[in-house]
Amino acid sequence: MSDDLEKQLREALRHVDPPPGFAARVSARTQSEQRHRWLAARHRWVPATLAASVLLSLLVAYGWQLRHEREQGLAARQQLIEALRLTGEKLDLAYRGVQDASKPAVPPDTGDT
Amino acid sequence: MTDGDACSACDALARARSGDAAAFTTLVRRHQRAVYSLALRMLSDRGKAEDLAQEVFIRLHGKLALVQSETHLLFWLRQVTSRLAIDRLRRETRYEQLPLPQDLPLAAESSSGDPLLQQQLRGLIAQLPAAARAVVLLRYQEDLDPSEIAQVLEMPVNTVKSHLKRSLERLRERLTGEAAVPAPRTDDAPL
Repeated sequence: MSDDLEKQLREALRHVDPPPGFAARVSARTQSEQRHRWLAARHRWVPATLAASVLLSLLVAYGWQLRHEREQGLAARQQLIEALRLTGEKLDLAYRGVQDASKPAVPPDTGDT
Repeated sequence: MTDGDACSACDALARARSGDAAAFTTLVRRHQRAVYSLALRMLSDRGKAEDLAQEVFIRLHGKLALVQSETHLLFWLRQVTSRLAIDRLRRETRYEQLPLPQDLPLAAESSSGDPLLQQQLRGLIAQLPAAARAVVLLRYQEDLDPSEIAQVLEMPVNTVKSHLKRSLERLRERLTGEAAVPAPRTDDAPL
């Protein structure tokens, strides 16, 4: 029985053909995957270059912005200094005017001593 | 395999390794029946079997440099096919309990034996657990001995022998049980 069963199993499990065109489909897929691998290898530098370009652009933009802000700051400081100077001059004039107005009239010297 | 065939096989392998697409196609044609049959009897579904068989050859294409000889190639194909099939069976939440729905035209290739019994056997094998199924197929379809099966499936020899023994007992019981109580067949009954 055992031998008979094993014999029947061997008969039942003979190799069968895959659907028609199987080898051609495998060949097409392997060639397609090979092309993808080749393109990926050839262009593997592209993402790194893109990333480096973006980073460089960001750094340049940041540097420009810093410089621009600094120049704006310097200009603002200059304007402030000028404004303070003008204000100071005007205050000085006003102070002298007030001082002159508040001084009593000094009589002329008679020479009695 | 004759010496001439062995030479031709090694030649195709060497040429495929060096990138010859036609040589690789020759390898596929040479081994497609074994790989597809193993996948088919493991998965019990023609579509899934073709997908898996294609996957095996795609992987082979990427690993050709590692294949050292025709013997190694056969070993590699059986191992990868079995492993992928077992993985897929274990991932599926249900197992196909029915034999192949259009099994009879394939079975017509067998020139001897009882086609109905053979179809019944294939159906019963499809009900075995994944690992036991692989052991039975490698034994009776690929004609490997237990030590070779152990190497292919990376399991102990005693485990292989245990799977074989229990599977044969189960098949015998099912055949005996079904023979003792024949069920009435209808057109819709699974074969």
